[in-house]
Amino acid sequence: MINPSDRIETLIEGTKHRQTFIVTPEGVPLGVRRANHGERFTAFAIDMTFMLAAIIAVYMLIIPLFFSGVSIRVGMTVILFLAFVVRNMYFLHFELAWRGRTPGKRICGLLVINRFGGALTPSAIFARNLTREVEIFLPLSLLLSVQYGRNIWSGLALLGWALTITSLPFFNRGHLRAGDIIGGTQVIFMPRHTLTRDLSIDIRGAAGTKYIFTQDNLSVYGAFELQVLEELLRRPPSNDSNQTLEVICGKICRKIGWDGEIPREDANIFLREFYAAQRAELEHKQLFGHYRADKTGASSRPDWPGV
Amino acid sequence: MTDTISDVSRPGGQTGLSSDEKSALPPISLRSAEFRTAREEGWRRLEDMVNRVEKNGIAALSADEAEELPLLYRSAASSLSVARSIVLDRNTLTYLENLALRAYLVVYGPRLGMMRSMAEFFKRDFPRSVRAMRWNLAIALCAMIIGVAAGYIMVRTNIDYFSIIVPRQFGDSRGPESTAEELINNELFAPWPGFVNTFVVFANSLFRHNSIVGIFSFGLGFALGIPTLLLLTYNGLIMGAFIALHERRGLAIDFIGWMSIHGVTEILAILLCGAAGLVIAEKILFPGDMSRIESLAVHGRASAGVVSGAVLLFFIAGIFEGGFRQLINNTPGRYVFAITTAALWALYFTKSGIRGEERS
Repeated sequence: MINPSDRIETLIEGTKHRQTFIVTPEGVPLGVRRANHGERFTAFAIDMTFMLAAIIAVYMLIIPLFFSGVSIRVGMTVILFLAFVVRNMYFLHFELAWRGRTPGKRICGLLVINRFGGALTPSAIFARNLTREVEIFLPLSLLLSVQYGRNIWSGLALLGWALTITSLPFFNRGHLRAGDIIGGTQVIFMPRHTLTRDLSIDIRGAAGTKYIFTQDNLSVYGAFELQVLEELLRRPPSNDSNQTLEVICGKICRKIGWDGEIPREDANIFLREFYAAQRAELEHKQLFGHYRADKTGASSRPDWPGV
Repeated sequence: MTDTISDVSRPGGQTGLSSDEKSALPPISLRSAEFRTAREEGWRRLEDMVNRVEKNGIAALSADEAEELPLLYRSAASSLSVARSIVLDRNTLTYLENLALRAYLVVYGPRLGMMRSMAEFFKRDFPRSVRAMRWNLAIALCAMIIGVAAGYIMVRTNIDYFSIIVPRQFGDSRGPESTAEELINNELFAPWPGFVNTFVVFANSLFRHNSIVGIFSFGLGFALGIPTLLLLTYNGLIMGAFIALHERRGLAIDFIGWMSIHGVTEILAILLCGAAGLVIAEKILFPGDMSRIESLAVHGRASAGVVSGAVLLFFIAGIFEGGFRQLINNTPGRYVFAITTAALWALYFTKSGIRGEERS
């Protein structure tokens, strides 16, 4: 367990994402989430659609050319050249101009970065895109030739061998394809997180707090439970989430040995105040070097590489 | 209130909750909440800049903002370091982590524009990378020479091998049954078909075909270089077969002159692509003292650069082949042209960017 937020994501989203770190020149390790196969395939499919549309549009140029009196041979040549440029420059251009994003990646929230934490150089982008020809277009053309060719077995053998290179992302931990390995790059998923209000500030009213927790009350849970509670409290209010909160409230009362009854409509306030008190307690302890990961009392600090 | 919390690492502040007190507590004031309040404005400003750059590029920032960006980035990165040790608010932590990463990518993003980086590349990086892979280039050359020799010997001993080695569309009208006259009139000294057909139509299709083959032989380096070597040998085989065919008709000297107008540039480009592929293969097999992955990343970028440079050579070769080949209609002139281009390439690849090479 490297990053504590991993554990919570696993619990909430039900899926496990692999986090890796890049270390900035200032020595700050930053967690990045590698893109999974589905996301990358979707981005690629979107890009291919755009690219094909662009190529078809280029081919459509033949119609005005046909009427303008330019010879068909010259027209076709210009068109083939343009199609060549589109096919080879589409990924290159966008990844250079949009800092490691293509339209498909942008839609899917993906991004190409330097795996080793430096700047993403143009040569890295060239490297990762030149191999595309072998990784994708070669197996595709082999696939088409297998159907119509006569030597089905040698065709299949070639195809299988070509697919081995294509399927590289499934056999390494970073989901790197051959181009990523050569270019020293990695594709990551990068959503935009927003800063919402601090739950502990929210409850501070002029009246002060309603519930008071003792040291014993606050010695049951650790950081993991605190942050799960935070996630639950941040959910938009609805009948469903209110019911969940009531159930959680009952559980917490039992666990921490709370004596009094909490009225049902007070569950939310109680939990918020408990959250604030618990966080204050844990953060205070943490300052003195007593980090508590969870209710089992595990004290292992999150371990940031390079610090 | 914000003055005292700037020194966040000092333990034992007054904000810790003393929950033993039974009287009504004052509003809870968390150290981490104050930490956030004090710095939030800077984070928000940085976030706004990063948003705009992600959308419209670095030009979206004013001069002042561009100057402020690295400072805000560094302070956000240090906020993140501090937050990791004192904040348990998950929202703040994920936000800061995300913000620092996005700002980092903007601050350390690609700096040079497309044109500048291309000029730098051709002035310095391209010839340097080529010099660095001279042994791979030598191996690629050997593979091709073996092919040429084998093709030459095979077709010289038995003309029937020609149709086995050379697929029909390559030789088009040329084949074992071609007479010397046909070769002279339709190929070696064919009339110039005009500007458009040569410089535009023919040059283009040659460029497209050759570039794809070149990129292929680089990418195939990933399969330990064996297909790359085979491709190079096969290229040589075809060349050797053609030389032998023309020699049987007594036209070898004329044919080599005809071929080398573009051949010098084109064969160089093919060899460069092959050598780049062999670098990949070498780094997979013998990673040296780096890990395989690291070694591939370091050398892969340089060899991919060489392939991009080779694509430009293919472009030039396509123009030579499509246009100049039939324009210079005598063998001595063709040799002069070929030797000149060879000398120019040799000069470029041995001398360009040599200053400061050792130091870097």
